[in-house]
Amino acid sequence: MSTASSTTVGVGGGQSKTVGARFGRSTAWLILGVIILISVFPFYWATRTGLTKNSALLAGDSGLIPDEPTILNFKRVLGLASDEEILEATGQAATGSFDYVLALRNSVIIATLVTAGQVLFCSMAAYAFARLRFKGRDQLFFLYLTGLMVPPIFILIPNLILIKNLGWLNSFPGMVAPFFLMTPFAVFFLRQFFLGINRSLEEAALIDGASHFTIYRKIILPIATPQLVTLAVLTYVTSWNEFLWPLVVAPVDENVQPLTVALGSFAAQNPGSAPDWSGLMTGTILAALPMLLIFFVFGKRLVDSIQFSGIK
Amino acid sequence: MTSVDVQAAETSTTRPKKVGSSSTPLDGGWKVAIWFLLPSLIGFVVFFLYPTLRGVYLSFTDWNLLSNQGEWIGGDNYSRLIDDSEFYASMRRTLWYVFLNIGSQTILAVMLAVMMDRLTKSSIIRGVLLLPWLMPNVVVALLWLWMLDGSVGIVNSFIEFLGFDPIRFFQDTGKVIPTVAGINTWKFTGYTALLLFAGLQTIPKTVYEAAAMDGASEWQMFRRITLPLMRPVLALVLVLTIVGSFQVFDIIQVATGGFGGQPGGPVNASRVIYLYIYQNAINFNDLGYAAALSVVLVAILLIVTALQLKLLRAGESDLAS
Amino acid sequence: MKNTTLRLLAILFAFAMVAAACGDSDDDSGGDSGSEADAGDGGDAPAAGGGDFEDVTIDYWLWDGNQQPFYEQCAADFTANVQPGITVNIEQFGWGDYWTGLTAAFASDSAPDVFTDHLARYPEFVESGVLVSLNEFVERDGVDVDQYFPGLAELWTSPDGERFGLPKDFDTIAMVLNTDMLDEAGITLEDFANAEWNPTDGGTWGELIQRLTVDANGVRGNEDGFDPSNVAVYGFGIEGAFGAFGQTTFSSFAASNGYVATDGPWADSANFDSPELIETLQFFADWIEAGYVTPIEDVESLGGTTIFQSGGAATQTNGSWMISTLSGDATEVPVAYAPLPVGPEGARASMFNGLADSITQSAENPDAAWEWVKYMASPACQDVVGTGAVVFPAIPSAATIAQEAHAANGVDVGAFTIHVDEGTTFLFPITDSASRIEDIMGPVMQQILRGEGTAADLIPPAAEQVNQVLGS
Repeated sequence: MSTASSTTVGVGGGQSKTVGARFGRSTAWLILGVIILISVFPFYWATRTGLTKNSALLAGDSGLIPDEPTILNFKRVLGLASDEEILEATGQAATGSFDYVLALRNSVIIATLVTAGQVLFCSMAAYAFARLRFKGRDQLFFLYLTGLMVPPIFILIPNLILIKNLGWLNSFPGMVAPFFLMTPFAVFFLRQFFLGINRSLEEAALIDGASHFTIYRKIILPIATPQLVTLAVLTYVTSWNEFLWPLVVAPVDENVQPLTVALGSFAAQNPGSAPDWSGLMTGTILAALPMLLIFFVFGKRLVDSIQFSGIK
Repeated sequence: MTSVDVQAAETSTTRPKKVGSSSTPLDGGWKVAIWFLLPSLIGFVVFFLYPTLRGVYLSFTDWNLLSNQGEWIGGDNYSRLIDDSEFYASMRRTLWYVFLNIGSQTILAVMLAVMMDRLTKSSIIRGVLLLPWLMPNVVVALLWLWMLDGSVGIVNSFIEFLGFDPIRFFQDTGKVIPTVAGINTWKFTGYTALLLFAGLQTIPKTVYEAAAMDGASEWQMFRRITLPLMRPVLALVLVLTIVGSFQVFDIIQVATGGFGGQPGGPVNASRVIYLYIYQNAINFNDLGYAAALSVVLVAILLIVTALQLKLLRAGESDLAS
Repeated sequence: MKNTTLRLLAILFAFAMVAAACGDSDDDSGGDSGSEADAGDGGDAPAAGGGDFEDVTIDYWLWDGNQQPFYEQCAADFTANVQPGITVNIEQFGWGDYWTGLTAAFASDSAPDVFTDHLARYPEFVESGVLVSLNEFVERDGVDVDQYFPGLAELWTSPDGERFGLPKDFDTIAMVLNTDMLDEAGITLEDFANAEWNPTDGGTWGELIQRLTVDANGVRGNEDGFDPSNVAVYGFGIEGAFGAFGQTTFSSFAASNGYVATDGPWADSANFDSPELIETLQFFADWIEAGYVTPIEDVESLGGTTIFQSGGAATQTNGSWMISTLSGDATEVPVAYAPLPVGPEGARASMFNGLADSITQSAENPDAAWEWVKYMASPACQDVVGTGAVVFPAIPSAATIAQEAHAANGVDVGAFTIHVDEGTTFLFPITDSASRIEDIMGPVMQQILRGEGTAADLIPPAAEQVNQVLGS
């Protein structure tokens, strides 16, 4: 009973409560501010590193703003710098670069295909699990769910061999195949939502003689648009960030490699003995750039759709 | 033929309704369901079920990754696993990582979610906090490898500025797992917080108003209202994040090992179970043993999830009562 | 209704099974037909006499970006002058990606036709049966395997006499010295060339290293008041993680102390528990502790060569493939090379390692692949590589070209070649299960150098584990 709040019961205690609350609120704001700073600072720091020469970095140029900013790193990572410039900047005759535009295009193709396929086919499956009644439905759904537990590494090699037998190595079909038709998560996620949709509309439609395909297309999909968008966002981000699978499907073929793999090999290419930090950070920031742009354009919608997945 | 089947399917769905049998009006049976399920079923059978079964089969062989050949050796891989001290060690490291990562991430996320809810509803702030989650793991690993670099990294510059000795985040056997856990906390906290925040939106504002009228402090409201009502969402989020946390891999693969060392270093201090499986398959070409390790990992994940779901149900019934 | 369902499910599962069966049969036939084909081709080939090819493309992988331009040159010459019907497509990957990519490619039977092979890796490839034996090709075309430096060609022969690569280059180890720091300490190159080392007190080599060590107050390692906890310049820099065989790190010292890693190639046991090795390892651990040698944590985070190049260490040991990087125009420290110190056994010792090109079972046209391998192993290509002054080609005349090219750049590489001239080399220890051994020994070495235990305590159990792996 001797807690601070007990004093606020009386009218006079109001004052002390506001003071305490104000103090609490400013502390909370401070904590929030620190967390926000930690969230964004690495991106700033990587950009700043990309704008600095390696030699300057090793010489201890570590202020918040580079002493002598240069865009040379961006030029050489994109393969636009001349050999002389590179030699001067890094002391290396050859330096890694990667075809950024090509890798970007590949990432877009892969993520778009996977997202389109997954949203369509998983919404169909989710409809079946949520609305249709057929023998073994729950067992089949449970089987799908166990797929969530299977570590990707476990199925990596059998899938790789399958893709090879289909002749899809180093190709977009090979890149997207395992994720195009379904992932257990997508089915699970949409089913949960479909279960929550009020059935009365559909029942009325059925009585009017509508088929299940009509109901799925004309009723469920429109109602579930926000959830489909959410799933699409999640799928797009996941697919964009995929690393191991594209690496093994196309370890060499730059024509189909997404940004993650291109950045990975760029990091491993490191021709000299010293880590080429400014080059690496330039590559890293360039690889992060598309997501940053998507974020700045669709930020609000993105946040809303992730939130949707939380409400279930 | 397809169109006939579709028509048949359509008529079959309407029939039971007209007859007024015991099935509900929405009952379609396999004839309808198959058209909805076919693509996902092919995807599931070809890319999940078959490889999984094959993986289980491989765990009973001495399959060589390179030659793609092997012979049935019964349970040898499993008896080897039981005697493999590195398996237990990698499991211990994984559990330590899961504990640190889930612990810090969840506490921070709950804090953030409440702040988002009670302090500011700004979606810009929510968005900024989500930013790290959008980044590919390769990007995250490289960013932090640079930030935490032992000699020229900004974090150590700051630590030295404060007058302390620099910290060898990736070179100290005791610090590498906490470091990786911290990096993943950086990546996932905003996302987790957003999910929790969404859950909080289902708590009616009136509850807080009433509590404030009764003179409850923020802390009391958090403990008495927010936390109990957040429990089901929290449980759901935990189910998803814990399973994911067990599979930590990319960041360790990229960021540990340093120059010339194997990823998972130093002195194997960051060799988690997933990396151990990967190394057995890819470095030692021992697909059979890697498969056996995976089977055991799946079994463990199934048990963990089953336990969690049980807790989740308990949580739900709590709320209902 | 039920029938349709069942039928559909049956079709679905049939599809999966067919896919599965295809997978299996393809894998099997892939492996079989590969070996049959090359047996067959080998039989036919003499008649064809290395005949003509039409529109064949050979995929060739290498990891060293510095050498890529010269192999591009070789490939262009090859197509222009030797085999107009064969085009060579060269792909380069960083060291780490290279082996992962190769493993994935082997697993899916889509490996390149020809690749640069490493002695630490090839026994596992041989064991897995993914390489093509070159015996018939070598015999058919009468390739002279004695044209290379002695020992190089034999490294690529398995115990049952099958040859799996033709040598392309060799490398040795030498001391790398920062001449500015030597001058400051009043030490000459000759001092290092004449130095002797032993694991007890470091010998005269050890004295040089101590003199080169400087603490933050400017006190040298051989002077009173030296503070080992606050060192500015280490006398000796470890090049990288020790690993099991320590090619660029401990191997030279241990071997000059009488340590022999294995009793010949493909031995079914290793000598990790030998006292000569344990003494050597403990020497480095003690000298790290004493402040004369770079702490292993720094080496792991920065890379030993970076530490050397940024002036954090006055000397290091390194391989001949690093010469162009270390002596390149833009490097900030002035570099010279000295032979390794003479050890307790009375001689220097440098590991003698070499790369070769291997043909994979995935090669669709092993005959064409062979033509390319043969060309790379011939003077025509090795001379071109020699002019690049990146590595020493495996053919002596080409290696001389490389030496001259280095000299033209003002770099004296005699410290590397002296080991070959004087016969003070020992061969890279070839073992099967090299990656398993690395996995056992690597962490133990890290522990020893961190001072988490003595070599005498930590090495024997690990050595036993290694012998179990090798014996099985």
